[in-house]
Amino acid sequence: MALATDESVHELPEMTPMGTPLDWSWLRGTRAEWGMNPVPSRRGLTMMDIATGTYGEVLEEPPYRSMAPRGADIDEDTPDMGYILNHKSQVWADNVVELYEEAVARQWSSTRDIPWNELQELPSDIEHAMCQLCTVLTEIEMIATDLPAKWMWRMNHHFVEAKMFLATQIMDEARHADVFRKRALANGGGLLLAGSGDESLLRSILEAKTYTQASALLHLLGEGFILDVFRQGELIAPTHVEKKIFRLSMQDEARHVAYGTMHIRQAIAGDPDVADEIHEALDHGEQFLIEFGTSPVLSSALAMLLGGGSEHIEDKGFPMQSLLATKIFTSYLARCERAGLNRIDRTDLPLELLGIDIDAFDRTGV
Amino acid sequence: MSDRANDLAFYQDLADLMNGHPDQYETLGEVDFTLGVVMAAEGGSDLRLRLRFEDLGCADVSPLSEGGEASCDCWLEGDTDSWGEMFDDITTNGRATGRRTINSLTLVGDRIDVRGDDPMGVDKFFRFNQTIQQFFDGAAQLAPASA
Repeated sequence: MALATDESVHELPEMTPMGTPLDWSWLRGTRAEWGMNPVPSRRGLTMMDIATGTYGEVLEEPPYRSMAPRGADIDEDTPDMGYILNHKSQVWADNVVELYEEAVARQWSSTRDIPWNELQELPSDIEHAMCQLCTVLTEIEMIATDLPAKWMWRMNHHFVEAKMFLATQIMDEARHADVFRKRALANGGGLLLAGSGDESLLRSILEAKTYTQASALLHLLGEGFILDVFRQGELIAPTHVEKKIFRLSMQDEARHVAYGTMHIRQAIAGDPDVADEIHEALDHGEQFLIEFGTSPVLSSALAMLLGGGSEHIEDKGFPMQSLLATKIFTSYLARCERAGLNRIDRTDLPLELLGIDIDAFDRTGV
Repeated sequence: MSDRANDLAFYQDLADLMNGHPDQYETLGEVDFTLGVVMAAEGGSDLRLRLRFEDLGCADVSPLSEGGEASCDCWLEGDTDSWGEMFDDITTNGRATGRRTINSLTLVGDRIDVRGDDPMGVDKFFRFNQTIQQFFDGAAQLAPASA
């Protein structure tokens, strides 16, 4: 209980000089916990360090639907803000607080941290392919800002750490759109084709009926795919400048995938029926992703970069693309298992064509 | 350098280097990650070690028992020749270059692969990848072992 006992506060005015009333109840004692004295960890005072007592108790169904902070002494008549995501399993993930701190610690700047002055003149076909890839990435990265933004204001403020993490994701994705836009323009090239096919996947994510469906489509499927594309940056980047862009972006993307995987797991644990609606969303989403991943524009640009130029598209580019596709979809299906979704026995993905051995696949889900 | 890459003390030197310069890791951010290294040697002793990264440092370097890699978030598995070539590249160029970066080497996975029992643990390899790379790049700063 917060209770000031110092005698100097005994005589307190009831009105301001202008005649408006004053409320000293915050000083005379509230029901909120007082004197928590959290101990900073070696890295400083983290959100994990202050998650003590009622401040760290994240309820399954918080009693209020206001912006009042969790742990405060909340007025009974605090207004309903119209939140629709009021159950913990609808937004939470067990790793979300740690991921928030990790995101804050690992922010980078596309302006400062990329050695733009070290870009080199490239063969025309490679520069065009790089600019085409950057055009696609600039287009799709912003879906991962728009989607959380669409849902965040509908999330109960009791789950503030989840909202804080999603705010870091929005910043991350803004930076990705920024860095790929910069790369497209920075080396004598520019933005190239924005194909209409890319929009189907983006629309399916944006128009998902529930946040959990949207999270499955965005974090598990879409960002999982892009995480692996960023990993491929090691093979497709013509110089160390692009490699650094891809490596730093990869770290960000992996956090988003980690949140999504554990959120879906939490959602299914909270309500097993949710699995069906997620499966339904992924049934459609996977088809859109295949369309997107095999789109003539994206796949030709990737094959050019993986082959190291137009001369080696067929003997190096395509075989490498095929090998990496196996890894991409194996990783995706493994994350689905971890999230509590058995996709491999349901998916319409062309597993044989992708080189995935259905019999050897680990279905334990950890 | 590739000779030292099979020696546990070499990794303790890398850890000491990291722990002595936390400022160089600050922009990459804190880490909470346990990485196993399992490299098979043809006609020699396998390299098996565990690297525990905490905050801005490497808190522990220890040998890894047979099967102990399952206790790590994930582990790198391959052969000591490829592993040694990575360090040769680092010492030659000051840092890993081209297809000798740890991300490159594990991407195709034909010689060194990243493995784990939990996809979330494997994803930590990507989340903290640049810290791990910088840790290994420290090899360029270590004096070659005396003959």
